[in-house]
Formats: sequence, structure tokens, C-alpha cells
Amino acid sequence: MATSDGSTIIGESILISGSLNGDEDLTVRGRVEGTLTLTKTLVVEPTGIVKAEVQVRNCVIAGVVVGNVTASESVEITREGRMVGDINAPRVIIVDGASFRGRIDMGEVDVEEDQQRSARSVTSSRVSVPAPAPRPSIRPAPSPRSAPVSERRVEEKAAASAKPLAPPAPVAMGAVKRKVIVKRK
Amino acid sequence: MAGIEKVPAPRAGAHTVIGSSIVIDGEISGDEDLVIQGTVKGRISLRESLYVENSGVIEADIETANVEVSGQVTGNIVASDKVELKADCKVVGDIRAPRILIADGALFKGNVDMDVKDTKGK
Repeated sequence: MATSDGSTIIGESILISGSLNGDEDLTVRGRVEGTLTLTKTLVVEPTGIVKAEVQVRNCVIAGVVVGNVTASESVEITREGRMVGDINAPRVIIVDGASFRGRIDMGEVDVEEDQQRSARSVTSSRVSVPAPAPRPSIRPAPSPRSAPVSERRVEEKAAASAKPLAPPAPVAMGAVKRKVIVKRK
Repeated sequence: MAGIEKVPAPRAGAHTVIGSSIVIDGEISGDEDLVIQGTVKGRISLRESLYVENSGVIEADIETANVEVSGQVTGNIVASDKVELKADCKVVGDIRAPRILIADGALFKGNVDMDVKDTKGK
């Protein structure tokens, strides 16, 4: 990372508790607790632990962050990164291997844009909407079962001889029961 | 003057740097060298050296092994080894350390106590 002067580094054995404000990049290899407000980039390195309310422009998490992060540009949780808390940022990147628990809010702008195109898919994928896509198990019995009993028996026999397993995919409980009864008769 | 460090040179062995635009309000503690170019209010306790550079402003009680001040410090300083007040620094507060150096040009107001037992602060 940038170790040139003008950037701030919190070393591994350092603990800062309280509030930290600044207008420059900050690299955390130690611990920071409290509140952390920057107008530039916060980098939490693998040894770094931040337990704070974080407000920054960009945030790169390769260490541990516990607390809410608000970024005006982006938040990235790298492969080594672990975070518990809520993220509020227009761009959020979570890399494979990262661990995260909390809420993410990317703002309203994207949702409004997408709503014009396909409102339902976006909202259902984004937030857990109470009425999601219909599940196959709830589907009613297959429709072509309105024939009288005799015909149905023939059908069933034919089906049983030809293909021992009746169409397996959309079997509802009612259909199965009826089929068994017909075979006994 | 030759002693003035206008450009804050990154010191060897210093892992922690608090940059000039940083303001910390609270407590800093640790086991390594700390370079302060920004502002710290509250408390600093270290087992190693503290460097307060020209742009550094400290309003805090300090407890370390070594202190080198080129900036401003308001608060009491307790060092187990040495306190060095460089030219152009401003220090207001009491200093307690076995070795205290005050350079020509330094501004200081407060008590000095060099009668510190070696076990104190270690």
C-alpha cells in the first residue's frame, strides 16, 4: 500500500479509541475503535481491526471491520476481509472468500432506473419480497385429469405398462392418491 | 537553521504515522514508534518513541519511553527514558523523565522533574 508521506498508517500494535477524522488516506494495521471519518480511502489491512462507525469515500477491507460503513463511493471486501455491520455505499464489491454479515444499501438510484425496465425481478432479487416466484410444489394437480374413471383406468394401465413411472415431475399429493386407488379397483 | 525538518522524513522503524490532516480525539496506545503530523486530543501511551513533527498538534497527556517534539504539545509528558524538545517546538505542561533536552529556540512552560526512579514507567 501507499507508504509515502501524506498518508496515515496505524501500525500493528497501535490501539486508537475515540474519534478519528481526516482528509487523507488511512491504512489500519492495528486497532481503531470509536468513530472514523475520512474524506478519502480507508484501507484495513489483514492485521487491522476496526470496531467503529466508519464514514469514508472508499473503503477496502482486508482485515476485520465491526460496525457500520458508509462510503460515498465504494466499499470492497477482499478475500481476507471479514465484516459484520451494515454497508451504505453506491458501489459494494464482495470478493469470493470474503465473509460478511449485515445489510447493504446501495441507494435508490439504481432501483428507480431498473424499475422502469423490470420492476419485479429487481425488487425480488434485491430485497426479500413476501410473494416470490411460484414454487413448483404448490402447483395444482396436472390439468388433463378430467376424464371419467373408466377412461382414466385405461390411461393409467397403459401408462403403467408403457412407462412404469407416471410423469414424475409435477406430481401433487392429490394426484398420487387418486392413482393408487384406481389401480386397486 | 539546520535542525528544522520542513519535510517530514519517514523515520526508519516507525510503523505508525498520523498524517497532517488527521484529527484523533481519544486514546492511542501501542508498542511501537508513533509519528504524529496531525492533531491528537486525549491520551497517548506507548512503550516506544513518540515523534511530534512540525505540523503535529497534541493536546493530550503523554506516557512513553521517548518523546521528540518539533510541533506543539499541551499536556503532561511522562517518559521512562528521554524527552527532547527541538527548536521551534511549543510545549505547555509538566515533563517528567530521567533525561530532558531542551534545544535553543524551543518554547516551554511548565515544570520539569528529572528525579524519576528507573522502575517508574517501565
